[in-house]
Amino acid sequence: MATDIKLPELGEGINEGELIKWLVKPGDQVKPDQAVAEIMTDKATVEVPSPSSGTIKELKFKEGDVIKVDSVIISMEAMTTSVATPAAAKSAATASKPAAATITAPVSAAPASTPLTSTPSFFPPVAESRVLATPATRRLAREINVDINELQGSGLAGRVTQDDVLSAKDSNSTSSVTKAPATQFPKPSYQGPTGSLEERVPLRGIRKKIAENLQMAKHIIPHFTLMDEANVSELVKMREGLKDLAEKNQTKITYLPFVIKALVSTMREYPMFNASIDDQAQEIVYKKYFNIGFAADTPNGLVVPVIKNADQKTILELSKEIIELSKKARDGKLKPDEMKGATISITNIGSVGGTYATPIINHPEVAILGMYKIQDKLTLKDTQVVAQKAMNYTITADHRLIDGAVAANFLKSMISKLENPAVLMMNMY
Amino acid sequence: MQNFDVVVIGSGPGGYVSAIRSSQLGFKTAIVEREALGGVCLNVGCIPSKAMITATHHLHKAQFDFSEMGLIIKGPVTVDMKKLVSWKQSVCDRMSNGVQSLLKGNKVTIVQGQANFTSSTQIQVSTKSGTEDISAKYFIIATGSRPIEIPGFPYDEKDIVSSTGALAFDEIPKKVVTIGGGYIGLEISSYLKKLGSEVTILEAQSSLLSGVVDPDCAQVVSKKLIKNGVQVYLSTKAKSQKKTKAGYEVTIEKEGKEEKILADKILVTVGRKPNGDQMNFKAAGVLLDERGFVKVDAQRRTSSQNIFAIGDIAGQPMLAHKASYEGILVAEVLAGHNRVYDVKTVPAVVFTDPEIASVGLTEKEASQKGNGILVSKFPFAANGRAVSMMETEGFVKIIADSKTHVVLGVHIVGPEASNLISEAALAIEMGARLEDLALTIHPHPTLGETMMEAAEATLGHAIHIIQRPLK
Repeated sequence: MATDIKLPELGEGINEGELIKWLVKPGDQVKPDQAVAEIMTDKATVEVPSPSSGTIKELKFKEGDVIKVDSVIISMEAMTTSVATPAAAKSAATASKPAAATITAPVSAAPASTPLTSTPSFFPPVAESRVLATPATRRLAREINVDINELQGSGLAGRVTQDDVLSAKDSNSTSSVTKAPATQFPKPSYQGPTGSLEERVPLRGIRKKIAENLQMAKHIIPHFTLMDEANVSELVKMREGLKDLAEKNQTKITYLPFVIKALVSTMREYPMFNASIDDQAQEIVYKKYFNIGFAADTPNGLVVPVIKNADQKTILELSKEIIELSKKARDGKLKPDEMKGATISITNIGSVGGTYATPIINHPEVAILGMYKIQDKLTLKDTQVVAQKAMNYTITADHRLIDGAVAANFLKSMISKLENPAVLMMNMY
Repeated sequence: MQNFDVVVIGSGPGGYVSAIRSSQLGFKTAIVEREALGGVCLNVGCIPSKAMITATHHLHKAQFDFSEMGLIIKGPVTVDMKKLVSWKQSVCDRMSNGVQSLLKGNKVTIVQGQANFTSSTQIQVSTKSGTEDISAKYFIIATGSRPIEIPGFPYDEKDIVSSTGALAFDEIPKKVVTIGGGYIGLEISSYLKKLGSEVTILEAQSSLLSGVVDPDCAQVVSKKLIKNGVQVYLSTKAKSQKKTKAGYEVTIEKEGKEEKILADKILVTVGRKPNGDQMNFKAAGVLLDERGFVKVDAQRRTSSQNIFAIGDIAGQPMLAHKASYEGILVAEVLAGHNRVYDVKTVPAVVFTDPEIASVGLTEKEASQKGNGILVSKFPFAANGRAVSMMETEGFVKIIADSKTHVVLGVHIVGPEASNLISEAALAIEMGARLEDLALTIHPHPTLGETMMEAAEATLGHAIHIIQRPLK
């Protein structure tokens, strides 16, 4: 029996991926769940598993092709008639956890639907959601590709009206429904002087996503940046003292975990830094959890892995997780889930150089902390010239939510903790 | 070999509807049926049982209500069972013929025979004249369900019968034991009792219609059955049966004690099971779940991409109207329309005396959802039309969200409950609030006014019952 392998759902809002590498060739025997191709999306590289066992007959695309989700990528001669549950794309990093790739259709009120884990190309039914809309409005939403479950109704008792659906369509030219306000960026073309030496490469994958995200963030958020210097002599000493302990625990300790601890502790004092603005609902969302994103440079460009619930992790645990996530980032093997859900981000270009930068906030977060190189400095202390370790910090914030004085106090409070790391102990969990 | 765009297997209320819509959408369509067109519903289910229930309802009225209304029939009202059965059959035939003309009128090819998959794109149909291979781009499985058989009571469909055999009785049985007090058992038991049979119902649970309908509704029906002289044994199991000269001796077990009941017919109505074990689904790569239903997604697509399943075989609730909805849904999915099974609720009706109908959440489900609820009932005894029909048993119960007043569930037990429930279904699908029902003028004098009054009652100010103000 002939079966086809289709490109499965790669993640929320992702409808295409670039074929990086075939992992099989025609004639190969494959087992269920065996990886057959590596696909790069704008978020991560994932492996496509074979849904069943069989012999590869034909590869339908070339490496480098951009493939739409649900396209047939391989035709295969099946070995048995037992069709394994079509598997979702699995992240290459670990095979044990499925990637957040499949949309699981909720079971409808009539438990008539046993959702298959294939690749549904439709929004989930309304039976289990709280959305209130007439059957005709629900059908309209599907026909114009709007997920009605995501909409806030403007009608009585929160009914989603026909107008709500139509305006949601207007504000989502890209068809993916987000709560972000409508944004239409100009798309000027570029024409170089005739005959000049230029090379054109498609803007795609991670680079395209970076471009879109940063453009949106700069468009929505009125940024401002405050800069200050911290005397981190004590912190440097402390870290030196912990090197052995870290080695015994098979890890290396950097400054980042300490900064994370100081950041979380300061955010508890200033909750507006751990927040988002829901522009559509016109509400400020204060978050009671602390997920810290940190910018990582990779051969493919900038990615921001996220440490979940950083407030509940020890310095050692944070160190290990940072090392692990950084390695995955460099290898292009972060799972989409590992790059989602940050409540604030840190950019650390200290290892490269530079004194100060004005980073861009990772929307919908409202602030980003910059940390820079540690330098030996001479400074005056009670008329004496003393040597100290100095480290620059910046806090860039969303001025809609955070006033200048508040940011100044925030930075001051955080720096005081880093200058006197013993204070950090007071706030440890 | 014949080749089609769409082949529908099974011509019940899911299958024939799906075939017609497929053809309307421009697909070259065939339908395969091994028995009579229209399936269980039209031939040995919904329709014939409704014919019997209607006839016996009139009989009961004539016997018990007419004299009070001053209508005198000289001599007893009697039943000509042969005539009744042939009238019932004429109803079924008329419906089945109707399906045939609709299919033909829509240019659907009808194939009589038993289909089996040979691959995901081909079936083999065993017909009277041999076998025939048919291939298609898409298959729609609508092969339904069948009565569950229990150990010790093998169906012969003459004396030990399922609903199918019971509907075919051509004489009025003297003593009937019904095993299973679900909706099918109660519908048939009710009309057999009205025809004059002695009926005993054995139910393993502690109440009739347990877990099927609102418990208050079940209570009304249960009382009426007992009042009409039906013996009801709750928490009772049927152990075995033995054929004796006097008929069948059925051994039952109630609270650990065994007892014997005599009967000339045994009706087993303990539920239905999907026909997932037939048709060689394996060859097509169609997977079943652990209860034997074909696994489907919200578009009713099976594990085999070009094969869909609808109706009883595709999961609960096993109701004809759900099957029809799915039939249209799948045809439109095939035509590339963006559709999913996208309903808030499936109404359910039980043709007992009085009828029960429900839609939406039960009180228990609604209160578990977390938001506070409002619940109120309005009795048919306070409705002018119900009184003038001498049908005053029962009530309309409405459950709504206490904050938004959005209607969450409606449960009716009473006259024409089955016809009244559609308004409630529309209300729930539209997201109606209690005020929407209460402020819509309902014509007087009709049973439908009870819906408006029940909404008013839930808001605390019904006119035709005395209510204490809500807190």
